[in-house]
Amino acid sequence: MKRTRSVCPFCGCGCSFYILSEGDRVVGIEPSPENPVNKGMLCVKGWNAHEFIHSPERLTKPLIRKKGELVEASWEEALKLVAEKLLGIKEKFGPRALAFLCSAKVSNEENFLFMKLARAAFKTNNVDHCARL
Amino acid sequence: MKTLAKKDINKILGIWAQKHALLAPAKMDNGDCIFGAFNEKTFTLDYKKPPLSPKSFFFPQAEVIFRVENNKYNEVVAAKKGLIFGLRSCDMMGIRQSSSFMFRDNEDIYYKAKQSSAAMVVMACPHAQNETCFCTTTLSGPVAKKGFDLQLYDTGDVFLVEVGSPRGEELLVGIPLAEMEESKAKQKIDEFIKKARQSIPEVKLVASAMEKLKDKKVAEKVWDDFGAKCITCGGCAFVCPTCTCFNVYDHQYSPGNGLRLRAWDACLYGGFTREASGHNPRASQALRLKRRHEHKLLDYNSTDIQDGLCGCVGCGRCSDYCPVHIGTLEVVKAIAG
Amino acid sequence: MVGLAATFGSGAMTNSINDFDEADLFLVTGSNTTEQHPLIGSRIINAKQRGAQLLIIDPRDIPLAKFADLHLRHNIGTDVAVLNGMMNVIIEEGLYDKEFVATRTENFEQLKEVVSKYPPKTVEKISGIAAADLKKAARMYAKADKAMIAYAMGITQHTTGVDNVKSCANLAMLTGHLGRAAVGVNPLRGQNNVQGACDMGGLPNVYSSYQPVIDAAVKKKFEDAWKVEGLDDKPGLTITDMMDAAQKGELKALYIMGENPLMSDPNTTHIEQSLSNLDFLVIQDIFLSETAKKADVVLPAASFAEKEGTYTNTERKAQLAYQAVSPPGQARPDWQIICAVSKLAGYPMDYASPADIMKEINSLSPSYGGITYERLSNNTGLQWPCPNVEHPGTAFLHKDKFSKGLGTFMPCEFKPPAEMPDDEYDFMLTTGRVYYQFHTGTMTRRVNILEREAPEALLEINPDDAKKLGIRNKEKVEVSSRRGSVQLKAEVTERVPPKVVFSTFHFNEACINLLTNSAFDPVAKIPEYKSCAVKIRRCA
Ligand code: SF4
Ligand code: SF4
Ligand code: SF4
Ligand code: SF4
Repeated sequence: MKRTRSVCPFCGCGCSFYILSEGDRVVGIEPSPENPVNKGMLCVKGWNAHEFIHSPERLTKPLIRKKGELVEASWEEALKLVAEKLLGIKEKFGPRALAFLCSAKVSNEENFLFMKLARAAFKTNNVDHCARL
Repeated sequence: MKTLAKKDINKILGIWAQKHALLAPAKMDNGDCIFGAFNEKTFTLDYKKPPLSPKSFFFPQAEVIFRVENNKYNEVVAAKKGLIFGLRSCDMMGIRQSSSFMFRDNEDIYYKAKQSSAAMVVMACPHAQNETCFCTTTLSGPVAKKGFDLQLYDTGDVFLVEVGSPRGEELLVGIPLAEMEESKAKQKIDEFIKKARQSIPEVKLVASAMEKLKDKKVAEKVWDDFGAKCITCGGCAFVCPTCTCFNVYDHQYSPGNGLRLRAWDACLYGGFTREASGHNPRASQALRLKRRHEHKLLDYNSTDIQDGLCGCVGCGRCSDYCPVHIGTLEVVKAIAG
Repeated sequence: MVGLAATFGSGAMTNSINDFDEADLFLVTGSNTTEQHPLIGSRIINAKQRGAQLLIIDPRDIPLAKFADLHLRHNIGTDVAVLNGMMNVIIEEGLYDKEFVATRTENFEQLKEVVSKYPPKTVEKISGIAAADLKKAARMYAKADKAMIAYAMGITQHTTGVDNVKSCANLAMLTGHLGRAAVGVNPLRGQNNVQGACDMGGLPNVYSSYQPVIDAAVKKKFEDAWKVEGLDDKPGLTITDMMDAAQKGELKALYIMGENPLMSDPNTTHIEQSLSNLDFLVIQDIFLSETAKKADVVLPAASFAEKEGTYTNTERKAQLAYQAVSPPGQARPDWQIICAVSKLAGYPMDYASPADIMKEINSLSPSYGGITYERLSNNTGLQWPCPNVEHPGTAFLHKDKFSKGLGTFMPCEFKPPAEMPDDEYDFMLTTGRVYYQFHTGTMTRRVNILEREAPEALLEINPDDAKKLGIRNKEKVEVSSRRGSVQLKAEVTERVPPKVVFSTFHFNEACINLLTNSAFDPVAKIPEYKSCAVKIRRCA
């Protein structure tokens, strides 16, 4: 059994817990007793945060729309398409025709990189996120 | 009686770890003390009660019980040869009570596989671990009477070793041991227990609360007040060593492929007792809290109680980890105080 | 955010979660705290038991209201009037903190003038709050030694959201409830890393640590660090402007990471048209959300348990989360996907790990200067501002001075909600969350216990109204606004006052944002989820 320190993925309280796992399977949650925010406690969402991780509905492969349908594709193909399309639109309509939405659910590092992608790679300040509070 | 030198403890655990999946208390770098896979660097003897009780080792919060692969059914009864080092005696009683429940009527094979393959080393409590300990009241501490393979008494430089089973004997093979004269050891243990008991005063209100529950003399207002505060987190049931409720879910990954898992559930959640018609026999949080505490203090199956007092083993976790202070201790006070 | 930044110079929660254990009085407004921030709500319940006072300003009878010493159920959207009324009483009765006002603030005269127009009798007419109650509330708040204001989306999601926030800030400054422990103005963030997304520059006008894009020195600093030329020096589009631009055909491509605007944003029909109008939509997420179904490319991402990274909670505290398990199938951590896209777009970004990215954040973002992996790995988090590795982090802001120097009173006049009930659309609809579900439900609806506890959207309606319309509990009703209509079950309850109905936006079967109004607060661009006019009928 492995214990990995983590942060609750739901509300902004930022409760800290350990993810208990066996191999690649999450088997439980244990709140951090010393964390000053939650002191060994969690709400119903935090206590049950283990389950959606292994949901059968998780996306496991890139998808590309072909003839109107989303179909599975390789990473190579999907990434290439994204880069080419974005560059092409930037070329034709200018950087302001592109926009990027950051996420209140991913990490700081990822949000930083995403805004760097928008600003440094595509030269646009059209960057925002979905939760304005 | 056999003794172990405290300075050798890391070495001894190292030896045990070679043949067992060894779980031991660990102090993490952020200050948390929890049980985890033994690691010389984080191992500590200075630990309290971690939020999760040891039931989580035999009955994990979320556990796959079978998989279906290409329409073929594969049962998953997983167990490693384990060893849990440093159990407290309240938790030992929790394991005995839960095991009795899980083995009664239909044996729970998933629980049994894990429970029976794990050796258990109890660390007797020299004093209360914090202000919510009340094992002397529930007859489950400060030292364990049964169930363990080994029980250690910390007497300073050495641990006195009480052997509880043949598996315990086996664990001692190849371990550096010394001897202490039986009478002297017995005297030391008596002193140890006496001192420990003094620091864990009996909570007299528990008995009167049990009486009042039995006589149905608890004012509804007690439950209404608690019900108004409860945030329905389910934590009290999840941390409790003797709560064993679960629900079963199926996850289908593709036709003919999927798994069934069982995951902890709690009687504090409204949906736990809601019937298909929408009717709920425990319609309010007050009623759900009442039910939980009746179960702990009044209605626990008498064979499952073992030689304890009731279905609560006095670990105090529900008081430690309820966000709004509705633990058994607080409830007992409200009922009987 | 914007409202607080204007008054104090910083838009984040001024105090800490642990302060809730110390305060003498809580003014909770527009926050259903026990359901949306349960472990802050629990602290308020505990504080009540130790004798703290609780003042709630909320139209709905939220669960916390059971514990309130005073609950003002004002008419929806009249927050500014109520807060101005409280300040009116406080000034009239000389209850304000004269020293704090004199030494730490500016613009007091202007505030005085504006709030003088809101005596309790006038406020009673606007808000429905009895003059006597308003006075009582004002005195309670002003006289408490340590009084904390806590608010959430119920304050910000109005066309007057910024004014609401400014009014909260005015009230706190007026009474000197700032710059100490256990006081302050505390916006409770709804998601685990909203604070971080803002801090990292996930906004059109600033880089990380709120460094403005229009500042030439800042631009130069980022150009040097990133080895690029010609960074955009004009603020970009906000999400609401993006949707409008897409509809007009000016915006051609949108790349969305981990969000589901089709469910979370108001006026779903408008969003749907905007997204369909794009030439290219990329979604990077862990589930095929409603929005992802519309995408041209969907990139599978790792969940929080499958990667390493830091998250900043509502009290400005960054904490480290490690990787527990591998991502499923070919899913990848977002940071790796971003690096791969960037490389193919001709701007290689090479990072060995999230720790490596954090080093760059440390060097470019003053408030995160000392928030390193090394420190986070052996503590329980660091609260910004934390400018260097010796700095212990900051538990409360504005100690001796405000981030911008003096705190500026920004008095606001009351403006009614953009859409008021009329003869045809005679109810006010307000939206929010339930305890068991989270945001658009993409994660919580895949947790059996949570789904069992709250499996469907309900429309809360007052018993009087229900009776008039012949609606019984759990009966299906149709709610319609000028933008669309939705069918769902009614829950007949006193939680809502007459002529107000409430529902949630977690459920795609009854997408309540089909109804809501995308009229925006002109400054913060937060849509008015909190009120729109609807009509209700029983389904045959
Ligand atoms: S456990 Fe509950 S209160 Fe804590 S962060 Fe998660 S959702 Fe928020
Ligand atoms: S309840 Fe008793 S046995 Fe359990 S930890 Fe406390 S003192 Fe030890
Ligand atoms: S009811 Fe509380 S004190 Fe008793 S065993 Fe369970 S968690 Fe421990
Ligand atoms: S731990 Fe407390 S708040 Fe949570 S369900 Fe139990 S009694 Fe209710």
